[in-house]
Amino acid sequence: MKPKVGFFDFTSCEGCQLEVLNFEGELVELLKLVDIVNFREAMTEKSDNYDIAFIEGAITTEAGINRLKKIRERAAVLIAMGTCACLGGINCLKNFRTMEENLKIVYGDAAHYYNTIPARPVDAVVAVDYYLPGCPMDKDEFIALVKALLLNKKARLPNYPVCVECKLAGNVCVFEKGETCLGPVTRAGCKAICVTNGRHCWGCRGLVDDPNIDSEKEILQKHGLTTADILERFRHFNGYLEVSK
Amino acid sequence: MTEKVLSKQNLNIFINTLLSRGEEIVGVKKKEGKYAFGKIADAEEVCLDYDITLLPPSMYLLPQREALLKFNIAERPVAFPVIEANPFILFGVHPYDIKAIELLDTAFSTDNLDTNYLNRREAATIVGVDCLNPNPNAFCPSMDTAFTDKGYDLLLTDIGDSYVIAIGSEKGQELLKGCPDTQEATQVELKRKEEERQKALGKYKVALDTPLEKLPQLLDKSWNSPLWDERSESCLSCGSCVMVCPTCFCFDVQDDIELNLVEGERYRQKDACMLVDFAAVAGEGNFRKDKVSRYRHRMYRKGKYIMERFGRPGCVGCGRCASACLAEIASPAETFNLMKGESK
Amino acid sequence: MTKHPSEEKSLYLPRVAEITSVETIAQKEKLFEFNFQDGKELGHKPGQFVEISIFGIGEMPISISSSPTKKGAFELAVRAVGDVTNALHRLSKGATVGIRGPFGNGFPVDEFTGKDVLVIAGGIGLFPLRSLINYVVDNRKNFGRLIILSGSKTANERMLVNELERWQVMEGVELLETVDIGNEKWGGTIGPVTTLFSQIDIIPQNTFAVTVGPPVMYKFVIGECQKKGIPDERILMSLERRMKCGVGKCGHCQINGVYVCQEGPVFSYARIKKDKLTEAI
Repeated sequence: MKPKVGFFDFTSCEGCQLEVLNFEGELVELLKLVDIVNFREAMTEKSDNYDIAFIEGAITTEAGINRLKKIRERAAVLIAMGTCACLGGINCLKNFRTMEENLKIVYGDAAHYYNTIPARPVDAVVAVDYYLPGCPMDKDEFIALVKALLLNKKARLPNYPVCVECKLAGNVCVFEKGETCLGPVTRAGCKAICVTNGRHCWGCRGLVDDPNIDSEKEILQKHGLTTADILERFRHFNGYLEVSK
Repeated sequence: MTEKVLSKQNLNIFINTLLSRGEEIVGVKKKEGKYAFGKIADAEEVCLDYDITLLPPSMYLLPQREALLKFNIAERPVAFPVIEANPFILFGVHPYDIKAIELLDTAFSTDNLDTNYLNRREAATIVGVDCLNPNPNAFCPSMDTAFTDKGYDLLLTDIGDSYVIAIGSEKGQELLKGCPDTQEATQVELKRKEEERQKALGKYKVALDTPLEKLPQLLDKSWNSPLWDERSESCLSCGSCVMVCPTCFCFDVQDDIELNLVEGERYRQKDACMLVDFAAVAGEGNFRKDKVSRYRHRMYRKGKYIMERFGRPGCVGCGRCASACLAEIASPAETFNLMKGESK
Repeated sequence: MTKHPSEEKSLYLPRVAEITSVETIAQKEKLFEFNFQDGKELGHKPGQFVEISIFGIGEMPISISSSPTKKGAFELAVRAVGDVTNALHRLSKGATVGIRGPFGNGFPVDEFTGKDVLVIAGGIGLFPLRSLINYVVDNRKNFGRLIILSGSKTANERMLVNELERWQVMEGVELLETVDIGNEKWGGTIGPVTTLFSQIDIIPQNTFAVTVGPPVMYKFVIGECQKKGIPDERILMSLERRMKCGVGKCGHCQINGVYVCQEGPVFSYARIKKDKLTEAI
């Protein structure tokens, strides 16, 4: 029996779901292994009978909390997919203002029609079995997780920083180019894609288990960032974490 | 063996001749103001006056990821070894990197022969080049790696308008046959080579305070030094120092399977003792869970363990780790010198 | 030029072994018996280990639980804790796995000849020690006394209960047991395995102590052995590390300067002190 899979979106750009549809060659192979029964972005039929739930997006409404809890009850395995689901992500930027301010900025005069709560990652609401961090999530990691689930194997995220993959990619260090980077404390698994393509790491995959934040801050300061700059840098994707407060 | 001389212009012709007859050449190229080994398509790309490459050439002998087995688990599981070795020329390798490769040769042939490594090593032809513009973090003379008289098939030394070529093996001799206009090196040219080397020795900015052979003894006394805690406090456990190291050869082994869930491969990939989970065991245990124990372990490997086990130092003084370390704590020379200062 | 597989000897290619029996020995522990498909023996010494493969899942080191005196097949007692061991637990008789090894030095059984052997087991440390115990039992006249001290976390988590009962009644075997936490049925000693030392009387200059258990146990057991007067050269222990390759290459099992898969897993306390293996225990 093929496991039944559902994709569910909460507050996000839905780019991670789009990423799944971009799999092309692998998507056909994947569909031989699992039945997708719920995928709003790709199909109209829906079913509430699923084994594996992929959750995309951060939780930003009371209604979202209830919906997520229902999904958790039904799914044997629940996976947070993408930075918003894993970390709260960019959505958490709003947590640094009052909810009233946020409503006003977004909806102006119509603000009183709406409601919102501080953004939070999926695991702030329900238990999460696996994480697929990244903005967007990494295709190879997604496929590796599906294979691991089918083989009854634990999927593990790397517990070392992006620097490892960045060095192996043969990149010139961002700091040597006079810029700054969150790579030294950010969980690897992205193959340092941003630095390899001439950018720097914004920390979209969250922090490693035991990051040396003090040392990273010291290095960022030495390379010209102010305390405020550093905070802003961490808040970009990791606003829900202590490091951004 | 007698040494040869080749003009710089002719060296380019030599490289292009090799390329045109289908040789695969991996050499040093420019990369964003730095240097990196990569596949050479034309002699014009080749840099021989570089200071250091971002990653060491040993990665072409011990790849970052390498299949060890192919398996199929359709019915009854079957597995086959994968041992790949395609001939290639590693062009422009500095003496410290040659000595690092010699350490790998020893490590992969001691006790048990690792055919995956050794076959690839045998398929490689090494053309070295003397390092005349050392990296500011390098301390090769202290590690006896500034120059070498073996470990290469050919070794070039830049003497201005031409290269002196030392022949290190029959393979090197054979390779040189395809080279236009090599002359026997004259006494004057050999003297110039010596002068260039002497000049290079004067350019190193870092040196070890302890004679190389005394390093194990120094470390023997330093295990409980408070300096380990101090030094490692800012360590990011980011692995940069070990990922760029030419003498680090530790690896992890994992299985990967195709989406058909039937065919797959077992592969090894670079792993290193500075990473948090390196010494973790099944369940919860981790034998080096704090950064100080990992930091100290690496330094002991560089200065003591490898030397005692394989008879040659575990560090060649190239300075890559020190260049890569944002916390500025990775240089073995600096660390050993601090230990030495403390033990006085 | 990819050489034909048969021309090359790979260090990493396992031999195929078939599971010939599976026995559940405790909640998370099973005893597996294997036979090589080529009919050859494993050819091991007590205290050595193998690397077991479940292709697609991975490979991991497991101590050999059977004595080489058991002919034909060999046994591994395995606790399900990780991917490979869980996958192994899902296999049944007739399934095949990959085996590399035996690796490591094993217990120096030749030196034990004519001497008393004191075995101290903590939890599943009994699994590797079973290879030694049964070796001594099967070569009974070559050795002096065989004293087994076995400690379990709870009375419900006693390992290899059938085997313990077999040894208990065997002539020339002195078996003492203790549990950290008892239950209504447990009438024996309660406390860590070291509490059993007060119940034994040994001739230290004629005794080899051999211990395997969780890492935290060693310091205490060594202390008790020393109190009994057993010299450090004769206090032996097997050290658990993550032996990924088993052939002295990958670096994972290193304790200070030694590779456990090559020079261990069995070390004397004297060696640990002499070589300053500060990371050992």
